[in-house]
Amino acid sequence: MTAASELLTPARASVTQGRSAMRLFWERFRDDKVALGAAVVIGILILLAIIGGPVAQQLTGHSNDAIFPATMENSFGLPLGPNSHFWFGADGSARDVFVRVMYGARTSLIVGVIASGIAVLIGLVVGMCAGYFRGWLDTVLSRVGDVMLAMPQLLISIGIVAACSSNKNGCVHGLIQPGVPLVVSVIVIFSWPYIARLVRGFTLSIREKEFVEASRSLGASNMRIIFREILPNLAGPIIVYTTLLIPQSILFEAALSYLGLGVPPQTASWGGLLNDAQTYYNTAWWLVVFPGLFLVMTTLAFNLLGDGLRDALDVRADR
Amino acid sequence: MKRIVLSIRSLQSSRPPGCGGRRESITVRRPFGRLTLVVAIAAAAAVVMTMGASAHSAKGNAVKSGGTLTVGWAPSFGVTDNFDPTGEYLGDAWGVLELEVRTLVNYQHLPGAAGNKIVPDLATSVPTPSNGGKTYTFHLKSNVKFSPPVSREITSQDVVTAMERLANPNDGGQYGFYYTVIKGWSAYAAATTKSKKNPTGTCPKCKISGITTPNATTVVFNLTQPTGDFLYRMAMPATGPMPAEVTKCFEGQPGKYAQDLIASGPYMLNGIDKVNISSCSTIKPDTSGYDGQTLYDVVRNPNYVQSTDPYRKNYPDEIRFTVDTNEVDVANKIEAGQLDTGTLTLPPDVLQKYATTPSLKPYFHQDGGDRTWYLTMNTTQPPFDDIHVRRAMNWLMDKAALVQAWGGPTIGSVANHIVPDTLFNNQLSEYAPYKTAGNHGSAAKAMAAMKGSKYDTSNNGMCDAAQCKNILLLADTRIQDPKMVSIIEADGAKIGLTFKVQTINGAYPALQTVAKNIPIGERPGWGKDYADPYTFFGELFDGRAIIPTGNTNYSLLGITAAQCKALKVTGDCSPYNAKTGLGVPSVNSQLDKCAALLGRARLSCFENLDKYMMANVVPWVPYLNSFVTRITSSNVTKYAYDQFTDTPAYENMAVK
Repeated sequence: MTAASELLTPARASVTQGRSAMRLFWERFRDDKVALGAAVVIGILILLAIIGGPVAQQLTGHSNDAIFPATMENSFGLPLGPNSHFWFGADGSARDVFVRVMYGARTSLIVGVIASGIAVLIGLVVGMCAGYFRGWLDTVLSRVGDVMLAMPQLLISIGIVAACSSNKNGCVHGLIQPGVPLVVSVIVIFSWPYIARLVRGFTLSIREKEFVEASRSLGASNMRIIFREILPNLAGPIIVYTTLLIPQSILFEAALSYLGLGVPPQTASWGGLLNDAQTYYNTAWWLVVFPGLFLVMTTLAFNLLGDGLRDALDVRADR
Repeated sequence: MKRIVLSIRSLQSSRPPGCGGRRESITVRRPFGRLTLVVAIAAAAAVVMTMGASAHSAKGNAVKSGGTLTVGWAPSFGVTDNFDPTGEYLGDAWGVLELEVRTLVNYQHLPGAAGNKIVPDLATSVPTPSNGGKTYTFHLKSNVKFSPPVSREITSQDVVTAMERLANPNDGGQYGFYYTVIKGWSAYAAATTKSKKNPTGTCPKCKISGITTPNATTVVFNLTQPTGDFLYRMAMPATGPMPAEVTKCFEGQPGKYAQDLIASGPYMLNGIDKVNISSCSTIKPDTSGYDGQTLYDVVRNPNYVQSTDPYRKNYPDEIRFTVDTNEVDVANKIEAGQLDTGTLTLPPDVLQKYATTPSLKPYFHQDGGDRTWYLTMNTTQPPFDDIHVRRAMNWLMDKAALVQAWGGPTIGSVANHIVPDTLFNNQLSEYAPYKTAGNHGSAAKAMAAMKGSKYDTSNNGMCDAAQCKNILLLADTRIQDPKMVSIIEADGAKIGLTFKVQTINGAYPALQTVAKNIPIGERPGWGKDYADPYTFFGELFDGRAIIPTGNTNYSLLGITAAQCKALKVTGDCSPYNAKTGLGVPSVNSQLDKCAALLGRARLSCFENLDKYMMANVVPWVPYLNSFVTRITSSNVTKYAYDQFTDTPAYENMAVK
């Protein structure tokens, strides 16, 4: 009786009612120190992406594209290592690696965030349409996604990038330009099916829930059900997947740039710097270490944040 | 047809050196008398001294016949006609064809000036022209046979077969333009051109009237005009004899003959002797010798008679070329002894290592490359349609940095004009019209040069018009290209030029397509076809030679309005106006004048033309005269270089 009466006390009841989903999420998330740390790192990286390049330029007096062949290359054209003026040494073109790593953060994050955002958007629309309407639309969209998933991603990406880069007007009547837009497009092309499949599965499940049935019985339109009932329930998995997709996209950009097919060599990017390191790996360790360190740190931070978000958003998770 | 690849000859490769030379077998087969020994030692010392640094037997190893010479080739063969002698125009491929194809006259396969001297090969002697320089009569040596499976004596008709194949536009000849001075050449080419009347392009009864064969060992060439460099032209691989019974099976199939190439030289494709040539249908590609992509393997030709050929030593029993896409890998394999040498651009760290490590220096070889590397500017495209801008570019560029981007002084020296000094006997070695301190370029002089330009709207020496921004710069992806682009961008910015860089792995095809209207390219280089400055002008600057694709007159000098329309040139094609500095210059008439001259007068004419080009036309920013730099493994006991092909003289190299 005592226990029962305690449960029914107004004070306790109000506490339980006051813990919104967001608060529950936050309470879980703040306990995950690793995820919190990752979020802080990502915050710093975003700051670096915004102001890191110009600040580095200010600190060193070296612009992103400035070359120093007379002082930072030996007579064989090999780059020289870190010193008091070039903290991270010089790259293959005798540019300041420190400045380029800072500017590279911008490229990597732009590619990662934009490509992931577009891919998620497409995947969301396709997945929800397929899962909600089912029938022939589901069949068509799912098969298209399956075909995309069956393609050798890297090989076709290389082909697309190479083909589009061979023409100064780009591809699709100039819609896709060589450089960052092209890399983003390639990442989007091969990323959306994963999200679409995930969203479709969730949608298929949610559309059968009682609250959706109730909404439908009250005469709600399909659009209203999709946007007001289903979409909010997809937020959790989508956020988690997006945080995991961002590092994948960053790595994919780095891989393309490493193969010489990513952003133009003049645009600072971590992958591009690592590509440069291929040529000089015997003599220029700094070309591998510094951009590699930032790349690993960024992808790790996003992955850890994604894990933390997943744990915090998943109410069934065993804490 | 022409030009496609001259440029590619010059391409990327680093090349090698060599010594060449006389018999150097140290195998003692009979006792020497003391005097003989002394004389031999003195002679050997003299030979070594004259051959220069690269003419060594590495570390004193004995030079002997036998073994397999293995050559890594990176990143691909990059050939222009699949190693088919008729159309192959890649310098590195010529080095390979020299193993299999003998020509009426040839070279001594030596480095330096000696390597550019014409000597008899299939011919008994170097002919003296008659008929006022318009007739050349060659007599063939006896006892020279084709390799198996043909195995018959080579006749004068086989030379005609090769020349007809070269003249026939359906067979892929890429430098047939050198032979249009032969009477009836153009008529033959026209008769074999595909048309509505002749859809197959065949003309079995057609002959080149200027080539006659009085007997099986005599072939006579009658020219339309005296041609001082005709013998050089007859030393190019496409003129080597071909057996019609085999080549007839490859008519209209450029490049296909390469996999069943019948050798006249000391080596032949491995396995070619097993090809059944009884009919065209039985002839299958000899893939064990050449697989078309990654392997080119030659072995000794059993029908070759050494006594007929004093200049090829033919030390290895087998020479195997294999493609490796990774240049670093090739270099590592050479150092490890898994390959003997390589055809590749040596990475800078490899250059440094071989040039500075005492134990590796004997395996590092440098020879004259007879080639110029340059930035090309399209005179129809703004802002390079203005000579002020082109001159400013020459003042502006940090040529020392560009050379350093390639690997520094180990790779070559700063180029100041068009033709390599060696081809002018160093007469222009002091000529440097845009010389700056340390060759680092001068923004001040560039700005001075800009004054008067229509693109300098503020008259302050800056290129400040809209056309000066985002100029399309076509770049390649070799090791040095990104570095060069950075230098060009940094220097260009000093006078307000900014570039939109388009990077293509293999930039030549785009650059050589006129309709792409590329304003500036950093990729080109040009190597001689033979030791005459004409080979640096005809293909590069003759407006009449401009073709839609494969064009190497990148600056479009001499292009006419009609050509511009036909070739979809978007820029200003009006003739050059000396007052404004705008328009397209033409040097066609100067070219014709120089080409008609002989001897010293010819050389002087081209020297003056070179100066005129740099001062009053300015189509390029020449920046590098490159060496040919190669490395060899410790397995190589003798390295040899052929100045004609600018490649190793593989047949004169020896392995342990």
